[in-house]
Amino acid sequence: MNGPLLEIRGISKRFGGLQALEDLSFDVSKGEIVGLIGPNGAGKSTLFNTLVGLHKPTAGAVRLEGKDVTGLRPHRIAKRGMTKTFQNVALFAETSVLDNVLIGALLRESVADARATARTCLERVGLADVAEKAASDLSFPERARVEVARGLATRPKVLLLDEVMAALNRVEMEEIMVLIRSLREDGLTVIVVEHHMHAIMSLCERIVVLNFGRKIAEGSPQEISRNQEVVRAYLGREYA
Amino acid sequence: MRWWIAGVAAVALAAALPLFLDPLGYAIRVLTLALLFAALGQAWNIVGGLANQISLGHAAFFGLGAYTSTLLLIHFSVSPWLGMLAGAAIAAVAAYLLSFPTMRLRGHYFALATLAFSEVLRIIAISWSGVTGGPVGLSVPFAMEDSFALLQFRSTLPYYYIILGALVLISCVFLVIRHSALGYRLRAVKENVEAAEVIGVDTTRVKIVAAVISAALTAILGTLYAQFNYFFDPDAVFGIVPVSIRAAIVTILGGAGTVLGPIVGAFFIIPVEELANSYLSSQMAGLSQLAFGLVLIAVILVQPRGILVLIRDGVARFRRGDGA
Repeated sequence: MNGPLLEIRGISKRFGGLQALEDLSFDVSKGEIVGLIGPNGAGKSTLFNTLVGLHKPTAGAVRLEGKDVTGLRPHRIAKRGMTKTFQNVALFAETSVLDNVLIGALLRESVADARATARTCLERVGLADVAEKAASDLSFPERARVEVARGLATRPKVLLLDEVMAALNRVEMEEIMVLIRSLREDGLTVIVVEHHMHAIMSLCERIVVLNFGRKIAEGSPQEISRNQEVVRAYLGREYA
Repeated sequence: MRWWIAGVAAVALAAALPLFLDPLGYAIRVLTLALLFAALGQAWNIVGGLANQISLGHAAFFGLGAYTSTLLLIHFSVSPWLGMLAGAAIAAVAAYLLSFPTMRLRGHYFALATLAFSEVLRIIAISWSGVTGGPVGLSVPFAMEDSFALLQFRSTLPYYYIILGALVLISCVFLVIRHSALGYRLRAVKENVEAAEVIGVDTTRVKIVAAVISAALTAILGTLYAQFNYFFDPDAVFGIVPVSIRAAIVTILGGAGTVLGPIVGAFFIIPVEELANSYLSSQMAGLSQLAFGLVLIAVILVQPRGILVLIRDGVARFRRGDGA
């Protein structure tokens, strides 16, 4: 395939009087890890929700592998190969951890195969030993990892991770970063929304910065940390 | 494996039970009704239990089954066995059509929409008297002798076994669905629709498929009810309280989403209702309903998740030795 894997073209999203996203465009190539940063309310989660079909954009287009997926229902977009994790964690709480992930795998497999896939995905995120527990019995960081496993089980081409490192300690964060890098080696493309700047800087080749629903910068971690507007809007002096 | 054996043993026990009862007596009639409502609850359980889509309109499908097979029998001498299939097909189509306006509704809005649908059918059945017999209702044409083909018997016993068969069949359908991809997807719909969609569950389709299966099975029970009772009117088969609420209550009271729930619920509720009726209805108007209502409230207050959970907790406490 020649063009970029994911093309975001002039996406706008308006909720009543609030312009949540405004004329947002960027591309993501296969195998990239792209960071999406910005202050709270900048539109990061709204963009993710729009990409996976939970919101219909007011204007603009999303193309995956060159095919228009704008306005498709989320399950169709998942089938085409793009899914996300939920920032506030949206697991099937009363269902076992294994079955949570299994339901994701059912997108492309029979129940028996999906169960095997679910186990593999749980091993991958280091949660094989809690597979039989109810999802609601896990700690918050564990639940975030189940979200990652459930997303992986759908065999995505593009995986959108919405703050999966929230509430993690340094060791856990390091583990997740190793995991994300290994996903890329498997040919996955990842967009990461994260507030931990160290993680974003070391993980991503490219960073897109949002502020008030607009893209204010895009570039390598070095370029971003030198960008005056980004520093003013988000990073603060530490990175100047 | 152990569950299989327990299931077969329970069915064998239920099959042997009538040997100890008077085949024309009252007890077997109550048991047959309990089986019927257990089966009705089980059909409801596919949507209400697995997907937590609380329908208060299952009488719509029950009544469609009863009217379809009985009208075919009266006017065209069609065997109720075939009429049953026709009724199931009509109910399936009705459920499919109903799913369009109700698709985006959740919780009490869904419940109210389904309730309104069944009420519309009840009012049509009352008003369209040229076809439905109006408020007087319909009588199943009386066969001179027992006939399997016409699904008519003088004794209650054959009905007991046929309805037991229906309960076993519907329970098997429930179990197969629960352990299939559809069952997992319904579970996802029940717990979080957005998350389900994002990981690839076509939540609309899953809900429609479950609703159609549940409606078809409910219609089959409507036919069986008509044949068992020989007579029915719009209130009996399209009624909110006698059918829709009962289907929901036996399941919720027993334990929604579990295969045993509707069975436990029905074998608790139907006998309690009958006892209340036979002992209290002569005392004062409404007393039996009041007593019945109080029993329901008591169970729900003690354990909102149903009798099964109540029993399970009781057993666990007994095993730990601090109950007794």
